[in-house]
Amino acid sequence: MRITDLSKTEGDFTLQIDRMELAPGKIHGLVGHNGSGKTILLKCIMGILTPDRGTIDYEGLTPQDITLMSQRPYLLHASVYDNLVYPLKVRGQRPDEKEMDYLLERVGLLAQKNQYARSLSSGERQKLSFLRAMVFGPKFVMMDETLSNMDPDSEAVILDLIRQTQDERPITWLIVNHQLEKKKELCDVMHRMEKGRYCGITEG
Amino acid sequence: MRERTHKQDMNGILQWFHDCFTDPAILSAIKVTFQMAVCSCLISSLLGIVFGLLLERFNFPGKRLLIRINRTLMGMPPVVAGLLVYMLLMRRGPLGSLGWLFTIKGMVAAQALIITPIMTGMVHQHAVSKAPEIREFCLTMGAGRWQTIWTILKEMRHDIYFCIVTAFGRSISEVGSVMLVGGNIKGRTRTMTTAISLLKSQGIFTEGIALGMILLVMAFFIQWLCDLLQKEEVEHENN
Repeated sequence: MRITDLSKTEGDFTLQIDRMELAPGKIHGLVGHNGSGKTILLKCIMGILTPDRGTIDYEGLTPQDITLMSQRPYLLHASVYDNLVYPLKVRGQRPDEKEMDYLLERVGLLAQKNQYARSLSSGERQKLSFLRAMVFGPKFVMMDETLSNMDPDSEAVILDLIRQTQDERPITWLIVNHQLEKKKELCDVMHRMEKGRYCGITEG
Repeated sequence: MRERTHKQDMNGILQWFHDCFTDPAILSAIKVTFQMAVCSCLISSLLGIVFGLLLERFNFPGKRLLIRINRTLMGMPPVVAGLLVYMLLMRRGPLGSLGWLFTIKGMVAAQALIITPIMTGMVHQHAVSKAPEIREFCLTMGAGRWQTIWTILKEMRHDIYFCIVTAFGRSISEVGSVMLVGGNIKGRTRTMTTAISLLKSQGIFTEGIALGMILLVMAFFIQWLCDLLQKEEVEHENN
């Protein structure tokens, strides 16, 4: 993915990216202080916000190949299972219940399969949001502080799932996390943003 | 002696209830009220949901003015709505050829004119606070336009039920416009509320009270339905 001359103003804040490249099949980390424009950038890539100027070259990716896990994931007024299979349903695919059970078990949510999703704790919500985003096999995944509210065990499970995905079928990740610098080993490339401007690759 | 008096009193009340609920005029008023309320509520709900969601979704010049006008119409006196519909439907009026004056259809039109802005305003208010987040979620899940609209409706179902129940309550309790457009014709356009109004003017209070009690029972069930819908939501949230 190639972002060129992108500009987006939201109130008093302006995001400005002259040039940013996200190599396919890599895990990209994005760091920066609060209010540096990371979330706005993710929303522009997702198509939630329309840039005022500039282009995003998706290099053949369609909106159905891209997903974004937001800081506060939206959960449907339905069960954990119904939430999990939602992306499959919108694609007209029939969910394989055994496979869904396996995924839920991996993150420790199988016991809550039929529970009302909005009654989950914030860490469990993030785990469900992660599974739901992965269940349809996206090619480009963005995570906005998804790892922040998780306990260390859950975080380890999610990191394992990310690594496993990369081993089996490499996809492109753009991970935003304020503690990402502590997890350098996860990312192939680390990007930095400051005060709405993209500062380039810092370390890999 | 005292016991016999109680028994006689009880029998008298039961007989009074029996007489009231087997009276064809009262039964007809109940039927007309329900027909009118259900039809007007369905039409207003359909229009209100569509208008409310469209108002939330699209930005256009004059949108704020339109919202203000709708809010004004939410408080429109029913008699004014009745008068407008009467003028439209009267024989020399623009829609006089329809022959809807002094019919249930005319009453439904007047009720729809009163309730649609209320539905639109309520649905718009709920949509403003919920729809953007649902729309963002649908986009991240790869849902198409119609799938997104369906998801928004499904996710807002409790709010929409509540709006419909409120609209129904408003519809069954209305007098002014129904009296003007329906004409309060016995057995044809007389509703429970217009019947009460007439009975009062004739000094017949007993049947008026019986109808009033039925309306109160209906109001109680509507309230109960509202509570049930909200309770379901709260219980889910707390589970």
